[in-house]
Amino acid sequence: MAQYEVDGDGFLKDPDIWNATVAETFAQEDGISELTEDHWKVIDVIREHYLENGNAPMVRKICKSTGLKLKDIYDLFPLGPARGACRVAGLPKPDGCV
Amino acid sequence: MKPIDPVKREKALALLASTSDSKLLTHLNSCVRCGLCAISCMYYDTFHEAKYIPAVKVDIVASIYKRYNTFLGKHAPKLVNARPLNEETAEEMVDLLFGSCTMCGRCVTHCSIGVDISYLVHKGREMLAEMGMVPASLQSTVDAAVQTGNNMAIPVEEYTDTIEWMEEELQDEVEDENARIPLDETDCNIFYTLNPREPKFFPLSIKAMAKIFYAAKESWTLSSKYYDVTNYGYFNGNTAEATLIARNLHDEVLRLKGKRLILGECGHGSYANRWEGPNYLGHSYEFDMITAVELIKEYIDSGRIRLDKSLNSEPVTIHDPCNLIRNGGLFKTLRYVLHASCSNIIEMDPYGNDNHCCGGGGGQLAMSEYNERRLGIGKIKADQISKSSAKIVITPCHNCVDQLLQLNHTYKLNVKIMTVAEIVANALIL
Repeated sequence: MAQYEVDGDGFLKDPDIWNATVAETFAQEDGISELTEDHWKVIDVIREHYLENGNAPMVRKICKSTGLKLKDIYDLFPLGPARGACRVAGLPKPDGCV
Repeated sequence: MKPIDPVKREKALALLASTSDSKLLTHLNSCVRCGLCAISCMYYDTFHEAKYIPAVKVDIVASIYKRYNTFLGKHAPKLVNARPLNEETAEEMVDLLFGSCTMCGRCVTHCSIGVDISYLVHKGREMLAEMGMVPASLQSTVDAAVQTGNNMAIPVEEYTDTIEWMEEELQDEVEDENARIPLDETDCNIFYTLNPREPKFFPLSIKAMAKIFYAAKESWTLSSKYYDVTNYGYFNGNTAEATLIARNLHDEVLRLKGKRLILGECGHGSYANRWEGPNYLGHSYEFDMITAVELIKEYIDSGRIRLDKSLNSEPVTIHDPCNLIRNGGLFKTLRYVLHASCSNIIEMDPYGNDNHCCGGGGGQLAMSEYNERRLGIGKIKADQISKSSAKIVITPCHNCVDQLLQLNHTYKLNVKIMTVAEIVANALIL
């Protein structure tokens, strides 16, 4: 954690410095030992949406674009799409009750 | 920190100077320093630092009151522990009133003379809001709600797409293509509300509630614009923003001519709309307003839904959201619903009106600034859950759900977290 500057919730302070190594480091902190192809599908969709729109995509969009089921997303990222997947994808923490 | 704008400071001080608020004056001047509140507070109980004692949080607001509103405070402030509202005091207020209080109200019920400590913490937050000192992450959640109508800034078309998706999933589940999740329909019995985290990230709870409405053959609708049950304006202390958010929802119910507003599973949202709402709007609501838990109880009582509790036989425990139970009066209602839906309930210790907060209340979950503290105090809740040996934790609050998900992960509890609608939907006999 110490190697990247993060906010209190562990989200990257500067989303621009994100790369695959950041993703792997964050994933390991969350107990995900290895990022599989499915993990990367989710990460790529989130990342792409963020770069285009400046926020996290709906989980609906993640499912649609990756072809994964909701349950798969929750299984892949035990902390959920927000604190789990979005953090690994290098986004700032979404607002609200997450 | 940057200097406080003198005009804003005067506005903050004016909040304490009003002689018409008898509750404020009484509660500001009543603490007898017995110390009973200390062990009722999760922050003090976890970190054992004097600054976390609820009476200290009261004292900082009271000391400012004294400095500007009493004879001795004005002329011999040191004698009576009266403090000026300067940068140093304000910074301490931010740390104590925003950063170290979930406004759970447990200290209030333990107070030997009944000081409404949460009320005074809220008053202090109002003062900080006047001075523009709300923690950035909390303010950003309020800004999203004010600017877009929901606290996660979800665009309408993405929201409706998710609702349609859940409608299809519901139709598959109940094998009936007439099963619906209505949007923007008028003259319905029920105007239902959501926490935006449901459509954004966790939509299955929407489907669960829709299944209950389907079973009850209810006439209901969601709005596509103002469906957000939360009101973070209650937490950031900005009454104008809280009022705007409450009014948006109120006006939308009237626009769609909903007969009853049903508050989705959200502790503070229920509290802010139901108990603070009339104060914000300056009048009582023209329509009935109850929580989803109370509505489900009605369905069970009237036989509109039938449940088979043997379908939920795993050991479950109940997390009581502070704003619905201790501060909302739903202790028996929640037990009634869950005992009708689950066959193996193990209570935590303590539970019900004396239950511990999840640790994420009071806006804590939105404030990254105090994340470490939040997870620290959450250990009390984690230990309670783990001692219960339950496999499922049920709670009627999406904010609590999120904190519990994090506690589950951080403290390796290996439990499943569910909402009331989800566990009830699972026991439905269709």
